[in-house]
Amino acid sequence: MIEARGVEKWYPNGFHALRGVDLSVEQGEVVVIMGPSGSGKSTFLRTFNALEDFQKGSITVDGITLSDDLRHIDAIRREVGMVFQQFNLFPHLTVLDNLTLAPVLVRKLAKAEVQRRALELLERVGIAEQAHKYPGQLSGGQQQRVAIARSLCMEPRIMLFDEPTSALDPEMVQEVLEVMQGLARDGMTMVVVTHEVRFARQVAHRVVLMDDGEVVEMAPPERFFSNPQHPRSRQFLSQIS
Amino acid sequence: MDAVPPLRLRPGAWQRLRRGLFASRVDGLISIVLIGFLLAAALGLAKWALFQAQWAVISANSTLFAVGRYPLEQQWRLWLLTTLLALATGLSWGLLRAFPRSGPPVTLWPRNDRWAVAILVVLAIWRPMALQLALPIQMRWWAITGLLLLARWAAGRWGQAIPQVSRRLVPLIWPLLYLVGMVLISGGLGLVQVAPSEWGGLLLTLLMSSFAILLCFPLGVLLALGRRSELPLLRWGSVLYIEFIRGAPLITLLFLGQNILGFLLPGGMAPDRVWRAAWVLTFFAAAYVAEAVRSGLSAVPAGQLEAARSLGLPLPLALIHVVLPQALRVALPATVGQFITLLQDTTLLSLIGLLDLLGTARTVMANPEFLGKNAEVYLVLAVLFWCCCAALGLGSRALEIRLNPQAQPSR
Repeated sequence: MIEARGVEKWYPNGFHALRGVDLSVEQGEVVVIMGPSGSGKSTFLRTFNALEDFQKGSITVDGITLSDDLRHIDAIRREVGMVFQQFNLFPHLTVLDNLTLAPVLVRKLAKAEVQRRALELLERVGIAEQAHKYPGQLSGGQQQRVAIARSLCMEPRIMLFDEPTSALDPEMVQEVLEVMQGLARDGMTMVVVTHEVRFARQVAHRVVLMDDGEVVEMAPPERFFSNPQHPRSRQFLSQIS
Repeated sequence: MDAVPPLRLRPGAWQRLRRGLFASRVDGLISIVLIGFLLAAALGLAKWALFQAQWAVISANSTLFAVGRYPLEQQWRLWLLTTLLALATGLSWGLLRAFPRSGPPVTLWPRNDRWAVAILVVLAIWRPMALQLALPIQMRWWAITGLLLLARWAAGRWGQAIPQVSRRLVPLIWPLLYLVGMVLISGGLGLVQVAPSEWGGLLLTLLMSSFAILLCFPLGVLLALGRRSELPLLRWGSVLYIEFIRGAPLITLLFLGQNILGFLLPGGMAPDRVWRAAWVLTFFAAAYVAEAVRSGLSAVPAGQLEAARSLGLPLPLALIHVVLPQALRVALPATVGQFITLLQDTTLLSLIGLLDLLGTARTVMANPEFLGKNAEVYLVLAVLFWCCCAALGLGSRALEIRLNPQAQPSR
C-alpha cells in the first residue's frame, strides 16, 4: 500500500531531516514508528500525504506515485486519512459538520447519506450523542475520537496517526487507543507514530525505530521490545520505560 | 460613616453608585470635580441648544442635507427606496429573531428589541416635527416607520412558517435591493437619468461608503490571501499594492484618482468624478482591510489548513470552508473599524469638490443667509456621523456574537 524508497528531505534552513528512509507497508498492516523527538518520524509520516515535500527518493501510495502533480496529491489525500496530535477539528462547525464537510465537497455525495454514515461512525467511536455540539465543548479524548471518525468518513484505505495521544490527559489516552485498536482489528492499513509501548506491543505488526532521520531498526514488536538489536534501540527503550 | 440601613438586603443602585464614586476621600474629590465639569458642560450645551442656537439653518436646508440637489420631481424614487429598505430591514430583523442560531426563539420582542423600537418610534415622531417638515412628509416618515415595525412583527410572528427553500433566498434581498437602489437613484430602465453630480448630502455619503465597503471587503480578502500566497508574483504584487496604498494619504490618492483613474480603468467604469472618487475609496480601504484580514488569517492555526487538505479538500475549498470563516471572525472587529474609518473618510470628498454631507454643510454655511451658524451645522453633522458609525458598530457586535460557536448554550 505504501512504498517509500530512499526518501531524503532537507528543510529550507539546510537541516537534513530524512536521510534515505525506506519503508513498505502491506495492506492491512499496522506499522508503529517510534523514536526520540527530532528523529524525523513525524516528518516522514507527513510525506505520505504530501503535507511535507521531499527532495530525493520516491513514495508510492495505493498505486499512485507522489509527484508535484496536484491532481495526484489530491487523489492520494482522498484515500489517506490523517489524525493529528492537536486534533485539528474545525471549531466553527458542529461535530457532525466536521465529519460531513469533506465527503460532501470532495466526493460529491448526497448530504443525507453522508450524515447517516457520519452518525454511524460517531456511534462506533462512542460519541453519537455529541453530534450537534461544537468541538470546543468536548474533552480532548472525545475530540480525538471525532477526528478519527472525520477521517474515516472519507472511507480512506490507509490511516496515518501522528502522535494521536500525546496531547491528551492520561485518563483519556485509553479511549482513543481502543478506537484505534478496533480499526486495526477491522483490517485498516495503519501507520502510527506514537510512544505508547503497550499499543505497539498489542496491535502493531512491525515496529520501526527512527533516529537522526534514518531507520535504525525494524522488527516485529515481540522481538523489538524484548531483544532489540541496535544499541540506539536499546538506549531509546531504556529511556521511555 | 453610618451603617447600611438594615432593611435593604441587596446593595441598591444608589449604594453601588456611592461605592463606585466615593469609596475613599480622594475618589470622592475626583468624582465631585468631574461631575461638576460634566454638569457645567451639559448645562452650557443645553442652554445653547435650547435658547441660543438657531436651528432654522437645519430645518430650512433639511432636504439639501438629506439628498443634495437631487431633482425635486424625481425624489419619489428615493422615498420608494427608503420604503423598500425599511421593509427589508424589518423582514431581516424579524427573521433573525425567529431563527436564533440555536434553539427555538425565546420571545417575539426581546428587551433590546423593545428599546430599539422605542428609539425608532421617538425618532420617527420627534425628528420630522423638529425639522418642521410639511405634514404630508411627516406622515410619510410615520408610514415608513410603521411599515418597518409591521414587517418586523410579521416576520418574527410567522417567519417559521416560511418553507426553508424560500427562506434561504431572503439574504439575497440585500444585494438585489442594492442594485434596485442604484437604478432608482441614478435612473435608467425607463427612469429619467439623474447625474451623479446632482447627488449630495447624506445620500452621497451613504452611497459612497456603502459602495466602497461592499467592494473593498472581497478585494481586501483577496489581497490578504495574495500576500500569504506561495506564488511569488502574487505575493509581491499584493505586498507592493498594500504598502503603496498605506504609504500615501487618502487625499493625495483622491486627487491622483481624479486625474489618472480614467486611464487605469476600462472605459465607462469611472466616467465621472463621483465614481472615480468611489473607486479610490474602495482601493484605499481594500489595503487596510487586507491587513485586518491578514491578522485574522495568522490567528488560524496551520493545522486547520493541513487537516482540511489531508481530507482531500483542494486549496480553494479549504480556504472557503475552513480557514476564512475562522479568520474573518477574528478579523471582524478590525475590519468594521476600517469600515467606520472609511465612512468618516468620505468627508474628504468635500475637498475635491463633491457635495457629500460635509461639502453640503460648507455650501450651506457659505450662504449669506446662514452666516455664522457653524456650530449648529457641525453639531448636526457630528450626530449624523455618530449614528451611522454606531449602527455599524452595533451590527458588527451582533454579528460577532452570532458567529461565535462558543456562545452556544452547551446543552
